[in-house]
Amino acid sequence: MGSTKLTGDGKRQITSFFVPGDIPDLHGMHLSVLDCTFSSLARASLGFMRHDAMRAICDRHASIAAIFWRSTLIDAAIYREWVTNVGRRDAYTRMAHILCELIVRLHSMGIIKDHVANLPVTQAALADALGLSTVHVNRVLQELRRNGLIFTEGTRFHAVDWAGLVRAGDFDATYLHQRTATTF
Amino acid sequence: MARYFFDSGDRDVVLKDEVGIGCDGIGSARHQAIEGLVDLTREFLKDLNGQELFIEIRNEHGEKLAKLSLSLHAQPSAQ
Repeated sequence: MGSTKLTGDGKRQITSFFVPGDIPDLHGMHLSVLDCTFSSLARASLGFMRHDAMRAICDRHASIAAIFWRSTLIDAAIYREWVTNVGRRDAYTRMAHILCELIVRLHSMGIIKDHVANLPVTQAALADALGLSTVHVNRVLQELRRNGLIFTEGTRFHAVDWAGLVRAGDFDATYLHQRTATTF
Repeated sequence: MARYFFDSGDRDVVLKDEVGIGCDGIGSARHQAIEGLVDLTREFLKDLNGQELFIEIRNEHGEKLAKLSLSLHAQPSAQ
């Protein structure tokens, strides 16, 4: 899943990726209008819950409300990192960074046990996420492979040199606020 | 949709594309290459001394179809 926005002349910017287990529009629970589009970037199973039901749960259980609040704060931290990544890092670092983030998030959700992730996103979607052309995404993935940091097979990404990928991506998992992120 | 390959680099280093991108014909592939060349230039055009950056398009049979390049030339202004 991804959240996306379109510019006036129709260019798509993917503003976040969601991994299985995420609640994509939790921030929308208290806002009356959705200000972005959520779209599936690959085959996905979605669960829907009414906002009034969510609010009722939060009214009854302060601890659950706090967990939801914390989740939206982490989403905001991810958005801040996303802006920094797209705005200030070069393409090679940008790509390494997003791969590190997705691998850590999938690991935190218990979906992967090691540094091998199935990422069913196209090069075009990665380009729209990173603010790059598809050809340049293709090139930097090629560079990461050539430098022995990743191995790819279809949609399967293996960070064969995790420490190297973290260095290449200027990646510090603090902003994800996951207990397991630093020991991964 | 056919798969096209985009080799890129300069006279010193060429990165061969082993994965390719699906495009609706050579026109679309050329458009993709132009956008790629802009990104390539933004990041790698550093030498004022006639450095040339290029992207060369191949088809699935390895045939070279087009080469797009940009280079920077600097010279002192006439006084």
